[in-house]
Amino acid sequence: MTNGTRPTQPAGSAPAFYNNPRFRALFYQLLLVIGIGYLVFLIISNTLANMESRGIQTGFDFLSTTAGFDILMTLVDYDATHTYFDTFIVGLLNTILVGAIGIVLSTIIGFLMGVAYFSSNWLVQRLSVVYVEIFRNIPLLLQIFFWYFAVLAALPSARNSYSLGDAFFLNIRGLYLPKLISEPGAGLVYGSIVAAIIGIFALYRWAKRKQELEGVQLPVLRLSLALLIGLPLLATLLSGIPFTLDYPQLKGFNFRGGITVIPELMALAVALSIYTGAFIAEAVRAGIQAVPHGQTEAARSIGLKDSQIMKLIVVPQAMRVIVPMLNSEYQSLVKNSTLATAIGYPDLFTVFVGTSLNQTGQAIEIVFMTLAVYFAINMTISFTMNWFNSKVSLAERK
Amino acid sequence: MSHPVVPSDTTTPTGGRIFHPKAAEPAPVTVVGKQAWLKNNLFSSPLNSAITLVLLALLGSFIPALADWLFISAHISGQTQDACTGDGACWVFIKVWIQPLMYGNYPDASLWRVNLSLILLGAVLSSPYWLPPKLRNKVDIMLLLAFPFMAIIILDGRLLGLEYVSTAYWGGFSLNLFLASASIILGMPLGFLWALGRRSNMPMARSICVVLIEFFRGVPVLALFFMGSVMLPLFFPEGTNVDKLLRVWIVLTLFMAGYMAEVYRGGFQAIPSGQYEASAAIGLSYWQTTLLVILPQVIKVSMPNILATSVMLFKNTTFLMIIGIFEILSTAQNALTNSNWLGGFSTEAYLFVAVIYWICCFSMSMVATRIERKLDTSHKS
Amino acid sequence: MLKQVTMAATGLVLGLSMTAQAGTLEDVQKRGSVSCGVSTGLAGFSQKDEKGKWSGIDVDVCRAVAAAVLGDSDKVQYKPLTAKERFTALQSGEVDMLSRNTTWTLTRDVSLGLNFAGVNYYDGQGFMVSKSLGVSSVNDLDGAAVCIQAGTTTELNLADYFRAHGMKYTAITFDTSDQTRSGFESGRCDVLTSDQSQLYALRIGLKKPSSAMVLPEVISKEPLGPVVRQGDDAWFNVVKWSLAALIEAEFLNVTSSTASKLAKSGTPEQQRLLGNTGDAGSKLGLDAKWAYNIVSQVGNYSEVFERNVGSGSPLKIARGLNAQWNKGGIMYSNPIR
Repeated sequence: MTNGTRPTQPAGSAPAFYNNPRFRALFYQLLLVIGIGYLVFLIISNTLANMESRGIQTGFDFLSTTAGFDILMTLVDYDATHTYFDTFIVGLLNTILVGAIGIVLSTIIGFLMGVAYFSSNWLVQRLSVVYVEIFRNIPLLLQIFFWYFAVLAALPSARNSYSLGDAFFLNIRGLYLPKLISEPGAGLVYGSIVAAIIGIFALYRWAKRKQELEGVQLPVLRLSLALLIGLPLLATLLSGIPFTLDYPQLKGFNFRGGITVIPELMALAVALSIYTGAFIAEAVRAGIQAVPHGQTEAARSIGLKDSQIMKLIVVPQAMRVIVPMLNSEYQSLVKNSTLATAIGYPDLFTVFVGTSLNQTGQAIEIVFMTLAVYFAINMTISFTMNWFNSKVSLAERK
Repeated sequence: MSHPVVPSDTTTPTGGRIFHPKAAEPAPVTVVGKQAWLKNNLFSSPLNSAITLVLLALLGSFIPALADWLFISAHISGQTQDACTGDGACWVFIKVWIQPLMYGNYPDASLWRVNLSLILLGAVLSSPYWLPPKLRNKVDIMLLLAFPFMAIIILDGRLLGLEYVSTAYWGGFSLNLFLASASIILGMPLGFLWALGRRSNMPMARSICVVLIEFFRGVPVLALFFMGSVMLPLFFPEGTNVDKLLRVWIVLTLFMAGYMAEVYRGGFQAIPSGQYEASAAIGLSYWQTTLLVILPQVIKVSMPNILATSVMLFKNTTFLMIIGIFEILSTAQNALTNSNWLGGFSTEAYLFVAVIYWICCFSMSMVATRIERKLDTSHKS
Repeated sequence: MLKQVTMAATGLVLGLSMTAQAGTLEDVQKRGSVSCGVSTGLAGFSQKDEKGKWSGIDVDVCRAVAAAVLGDSDKVQYKPLTAKERFTALQSGEVDMLSRNTTWTLTRDVSLGLNFAGVNYYDGQGFMVSKSLGVSSVNDLDGAAVCIQAGTTTELNLADYFRAHGMKYTAITFDTSDQTRSGFESGRCDVLTSDQSQLYALRIGLKKPSSAMVLPEVISKEPLGPVVRQGDDAWFNVVKWSLAALIEAEFLNVTSSTASKLAKSGTPEQQRLLGNTGDAGSKLGLDAKWAYNIVSQVGNYSEVFERNVGSGSPLKIARGLNAQWNKGGIMYSNPIR
């Protein structure tokens, strides 16, 4: 694989063709391609021969046959009469759900704990260190067991639930919330939410221009919050409150109605967030430490307040270090969510690679579909974070 | 703006008077001492005081109960689950099962072979500290690379003329250690090759390496294990039967290689191009440049990440439970389903495993911090 | 570098792998051990104690085959397998036989390239509820939360049954029996469903076993038995008749302690089973004493049952369906002659 040129080549005489770096590169690559190609061919032919001789079915026909089993939690309409393809969709949505919750929660926990490391309160600073060192160094599988079998199992039974105003209930079967049912006229409210979001973007751009031109800072955060809450509230009142609430009620063995957050989801989301949060806290700490102290001192000397220093000086610079690390942490979080199978949260791995595979026995098709999905999710995260990263690093060069 | 300048040291000499310096006063209690420490670190502001009190109340509420369960009401004597009555932890369970938890079902008479391999592992890993500096570089790497094979030979026993112990008997925490170390050791050079391939200007080599790296990084390790245990047998010619542990080892090594390649990539980016130019100027070949100039610097730069990735791989060996290899966690679960131990000791079992893992991973991260500090030869402002 | 690694890897693969040939019986005899796929841990069926010794009804089938083929019931290499990998392990030749509480169904028999060599335990899916719930029949369980031990057929049977009876339920699926029990005990579900044999094991594992009861209904048929690869009839016969010998020995009242005496002085049937007369052994390609070895080392089916799941074990399962056909059960061995 030599592609450096030899300096001792006597002038005038052309090098032998086998010493020509371009020829060599070509030759080695050819060799590599042939080798890999042969290996792939061998694997495929072996697999086909094995499946043939063992009478294993192939193909994707199984996707349209009836699955015949039920799933604990489905975000779309599903029951035992649906097909295996539907189980795939159900699992995929559940994976995305737990991944999204985990990413949000772990970011919050991680940033809080990472900043807590710089707290002036000794106990808080120690707490941050102890948190990181404990949760980073224990296998995630054990932590999932801990949250599910030790913590959540201590909740009361359905009949003795903790309740909040007969609308919210928490027991071992899960967290029950009232469900919002929209009636005619709710469209206006949804429209107002969209309008508020668009308004916030406009406000943000306008405030930025105003600051660049006139040096005036607007309280953007407060204004956007007011927009986001005020506009829909106004719309709701104007259209005569077009919503009814479906409260959960204890009927028979369980609560019916409302929204149920199953404890498997809670345990998995908590375990994933706390575990990943420890790594994010570490990243945040490293990021903040990477900002030279002179920055803080300089900021202080031009009269910025402590909160302003954090917001305007330290965090934007720390983000350059933090964001690439966040990228890989988010990806591991999604990959680690496959451990759902240990406590029976019906994610893609549990439902599709677990039950569906057991029923159909078509390991190759199912595993490849699953791998492709995780790959796609991680690529999406990676692209998003890289885009975000380019945003934060551009800010630095201005 | 014309203030009269009064020099501070102007004193009029007074004959006969001797200057008696006052004895130094102790520093005010608000600066040093316990009280001051408390004030500055715990109660510096109303908010801080409130946080401190809440945290203390939380600690105070669960530490006594925990200590009671862990130690005071715990049971340790006896040999069966009947010895455990009352509410405390049942350490009898751990005591009885300790050997399978640590060694699997390795035959009693040959346990020394597992211990020997563990000592070997310790010796190899600590070799930079005891080898004479002259030998260090080469011997170190040789020892490392040879370790997995030496351990297999010792544990397997056939080549040495010892009693053959099939991999079905290997297990427990020692298996976690062996599998993790063997795949880390082989995954590191393989990952380096892939990282080199990714940087190479040969398009085919580059794309193959990119595909390999991204595949092993982008896919859940559980799915990889699953492929190793269920699908790999289909890839081999009919009738060949590759040991399950070997398949898992291959999977773990490839997984490690994918992650290491990414770690090295970061390392490569930190090497200034002047290093390549300087090596080319003194006439080093591609491999000489790579191995003698670039590799040492890459390893140095990426050392913290190498160790972090190793810790991650080590923790991931618990996932082997799901594919039925008797590492420590699945041994614990197996013990929990034994009909003589059906009393529900899962808390004790999982706590035990967690503590063992925590000790190992925590000491690894301490070592990482130390090495990081030692290797940090950059100029600090 | 690459070359060296490749060579080393090839060497290892060759060193640690073995090639299975067409005749499993010859392979086993040459190797001197039976490689038997068992469960990773299932009370009474295949479990490992703290000394690493395997025991259980499924394990005893492996031991019976080893006793028949090799004359020593200890010459078994146990390969613990998860539910997902069991068939692949058998198909790829990693194990010679599978004795891992596997339900005999048409699909598995026909489309997986496998043969079931008989039934060593007739099981059925049942339900366990907490007594405080005040439920006496499965039909009272409308709307209940059900903890399921992930099996291959349990989830399907449950869905079928509840749908057929127009009842609703929430299914909570766990990976291992220990987790299922913890889920039930903590109150995550009202009812636990699993194979009946496992319900008893799960029940005695509760903190207060008397607080739970097993409902009388059995909603499915689960004939569990050993499995071998298709297309190797000699080996199939050996496994099939080793299991049959266990059952036949009980029918003929031969036990491990009386076997040596009865081999010489028993009834003609007993003497034929124990190899004193007849040529059953050589027809199977085994020693004439094959069945004698099974009975004297492993015991007859009754001994195996009582020792592992019956009165001699903590599970205390009644014989029920698994009693001999002339004692109210359906255990029946084809005549060995």
